Amino acid sequence: MQRVLTGAAVRGRAREGARPVRAPRVRIDGVSLTRALLWAACLALVLVPLGTILVLAAGGNHLATILQGDVVEAAINSLVSATLSAAGAVIVGGGLAVLLDRTDLPGRRVLRLFALSPLLVPPFVGAIAWIGIAGPTSPVNLWWRDLFGAPLGTIYGGHGVVFLLVVHSYPIAMLVVSAALRRVPADLEHAARIGGASAVRALGTVTVPLLRPALVSSFTLIAVSNLADFGIPSIVGLPERYVTLSTLVYRYIQSGTVDRPLEVVATIGAVLLVIALGALVLDLLASRRRWELDSSASTPQRLPLGRSRLLVAVLAWAFVLTLTLLPLLALLSQSLLPAPGVPLAIENLTLDNVVRAVTAKGTATGATTSVLLAVLAGLVCGVLGLGIGTLVTRTRARDNGLLRAVAILPQAVPGLVIAVAWLVLAPRIGLFNTPWLILCAYITSFVALVVQAVAAPLAATPLTVEEAARASGASRFRALLDVSFRMAVPAALSGTVLVALTAVRELTLSVLLLSPGAQTLGVTIFNLQQAGAYNAASALSLLITLIGLAGLGLAARSSR
Amino acid sequence: MPRLARTTALSAFALSTVLLAGCSGAANSAPESSTATSTEADAAAEPATITLYTSEPQEKADALVAAFTEEHPEITVEVFRAGTGDLTARIESERTAGAVQADVLLAADAGTFEDYAAEELLLAYTPKDADALNPDVVDPEGFYTGTRIIPTVIAYNTAAIEKAPTSWADLTDAEYAGKIVMPNPDVSGAAAYNSAVWLAEPALGESWLTDLAANEPVIADSNGPVSQAVASGTQPVGIVVDYLVRELAAQGSPIAVSYPSEGVPYVSQPAGIFADTEEPEASQAFVDFLVGKAGQELAVEQSYLPVRSDVGTPEGAPAMDEITVLSPDLEKIRSTQDDAVATFNSLFQ
Repeated sequence: MQRVLTGAAVRGRAREGARPVRAPRVRIDGVSLTRALLWAACLALVLVPLGTILVLAAGGNHLATILQGDVVEAAINSLVSATLSAAGAVIVGGGLAVLLDRTDLPGRRVLRLFALSPLLVPPFVGAIAWIGIAGPTSPVNLWWRDLFGAPLGTIYGGHGVVFLLVVHSYPIAMLVVSAALRRVPADLEHAARIGGASAVRALGTVTVPLLRPALVSSFTLIAVSNLADFGIPSIVGLPERYVTLSTLVYRYIQSGTVDRPLEVVATIGAVLLVIALGALVLDLLASRRRWELDSSASTPQRLPLGRSRLLVAVLAWAFVLTLTLLPLLALLSQSLLPAPGVPLAIENLTLDNVVRAVTAKGTATGATTSVLLAVLAGLVCGVLGLGIGTLVTRTRARDNGLLRAVAILPQAVPGLVIAVAWLVLAPRIGLFNTPWLILCAYITSFVALVVQAVAAPLAATPLTVEEAARASGASRFRALLDVSFRMAVPAALSGTVLVALTAVRELTLSVLLLSPGAQTLGVTIFNLQQAGAYNAASALSLLITLIGLAGLGLAARSSR
Repeated sequence: MPRLARTTALSAFALSTVLLAGCSGAANSAPESSTATSTEADAAAEPATITLYTSEPQEKADALVAAFTEEHPEITVEVFRAGTGDLTARIESERTAGAVQADVLLAADAGTFEDYAAEELLLAYTPKDADALNPDVVDPEGFYTGTRIIPTVIAYNTAAIEKAPTSWADLTDAEYAGKIVMPNPDVSGAAAYNSAVWLAEPALGESWLTDLAANEPVIADSNGPVSQAVASGTQPVGIVVDYLVRELAAQGSPIAVSYPSEGVPYVSQPAGIFADTEEPEASQAFVDFLVGKAGQELAVEQSYLPVRSDVGTPEGAPAMDEITVLSPDLEKIRSTQDDAVATFNSLFQ
């Protein structure tokens, strides 16, 4: 269907393009202009702040400081937790994407919404909710202790960090893989089925291997961004002294135990950049061997689960609800109780905290600022990501790898370091004390989400459609606009949604870049928490999650 | 076609949010600007705007500024609120980029201010009635003045603990093994200061800290999570600043505070004025207000122990002379603090 539509569009435009007067062949056409524009945007929004970090790091030689045991241990912890959690997230997210998109699992629409909900819960709030569920005195552990004398195990420590990172990042893998799944043609599966393969075998040996580029790129994206996560390791890791580079950065800034903390922190940022660069090189090597897929001419058939439908449904629902509904219920109980430690009983329930959360001075301004910034960040990242993701996969140029790397690198730098870079830049570009500074930092940090979401499905689609467009007389630029971009739009849109959802509750960047009076929602929650209003903080997080889910649900529903 | 429909729906959703945000944004900014102009018009003398960097919780900072503006309607105070670490990072970045953008800093502990004073970032100013203040919190060189007494105490969950620990020594009892939570000195400035004070105190010292470590306390991020863990019973005993406990108790949490008999270390949340300020007089008026009678009465209302003796103490807190405080030589503590944190880290690994 898609193919027919785009084909018609090309044909229509191509006729206009084939007017008798043809411009003399010049090298500067729309494509190179687009490329130049994208490079300019990357220069301003990525290279300048990253350069600032490098300049700061070069301000003094702090390699000796950071080669001490602390930093090496933290670097190992960061690498291990990021790699393991990315692998876990890809397995969980990829598995769910296949189940939800390619099988007749009952209730998949609702299940998809639940599965996406961890995206909407700020990680530091999620971590606190999970401590209530799996901390040392959680109901489960108390019960286990009564039975066996010792708690079953707590969430504190490295395993808890990995677990929570998986919980909060698998939706990213799910979105990226889903977008790619829609581009895997059903014809191949049909062929396998006709050849005698069972439905499961066709899925396992045909579709899943074809998803490899999407799996690899979501793995890189998640691993690189989990390198920089702060909220989860600080709440769940530090009690067991599990230090990662991003919590170490915070320690250096906060405790003043080192001289020139900014330079040391920038040096750590530079080290993380090098690690991320390594990951990207691996990603590039892995994606060099790739398959190309023809566009699909038929809608994919859902895999009937048959007799195991009930079993699979129960397992999938139980799994997703444990990961998502349990913390939401923990948040709900905290929202309805007046203060921590008050027993959960009907007569103790109150809406006071919900009222306090909604009427707090920061909430209204926070919601306005956050929604505005999140939507703008989503749109800008969407356009940039669409451009970069499409160009690097649909055109041939030497700088493709570099352009993609530049767009993805900032993902690995802790928010604190990016925020410092923008703060140092701010007075020089006249953005000091304006919300636009936060917008810039959001774009720096999040553009990678869209680039990866777009590049993954497009990398596996052959260039034949563009070639057909060129053969029908379309210019390079016209082919890019009418064919490549159109193919990329669905993925870019889901990337945009992803960015907006991440930005709406962002904390690390906004807390440092805030201008007086302009709150963001993440900061409002954090402030409530700092003021001792833990239950109001839970109430606000819960409200944001529910509103976000309702929005996603509406968007999905109206598309039926 | 469903893909197209979904695309349209999604973009419509996004678009409507933009529009909504745009509308409310415009509606929001309008009254703000009008109040600003009216204050300026009403102002009797020299309108001024100062920027305050503070780690006070937002609601308290707002109340503070509101009370101050009532007394000085000609002065507008813009507040940037963040945790101490974030404030330090922001100030560091601003110094790198040029000059500190704040006029007044109200945060953290004396150590931070000593460092800034040594780097000549601060303006010397001793508030008006400095004689009425607790002499321990006034910097003899006049670079900063403490504004609240924030002691670190023992908090316990009244539902889980029958007999409250009454001294630091009690906490080394085996009955509290695995039940204690305390803030991380790498993260919390107050906690770092405390470990230096404990180590310098002859009655406690390294042997006490070693025994405490044997009880395997959970090291939480900062004071906030500690009080939350105690209130919810995650760990029923905590080492934490006192006002958080009083506030939680007032909200109904089963939590109470115990002031250890050996004495409590405290930080004083000092206020100081940056040397780069363009509004020295307005900034000085603000510092005067903080430690003046009205400002201190507000502090007591906000659950803090005051730095002057004529304003009482918060509800549920003992009178100032009933609390034994540890006031060691600040110079000495500052010079030993880094080693103390290292000792703490090696013991609690």
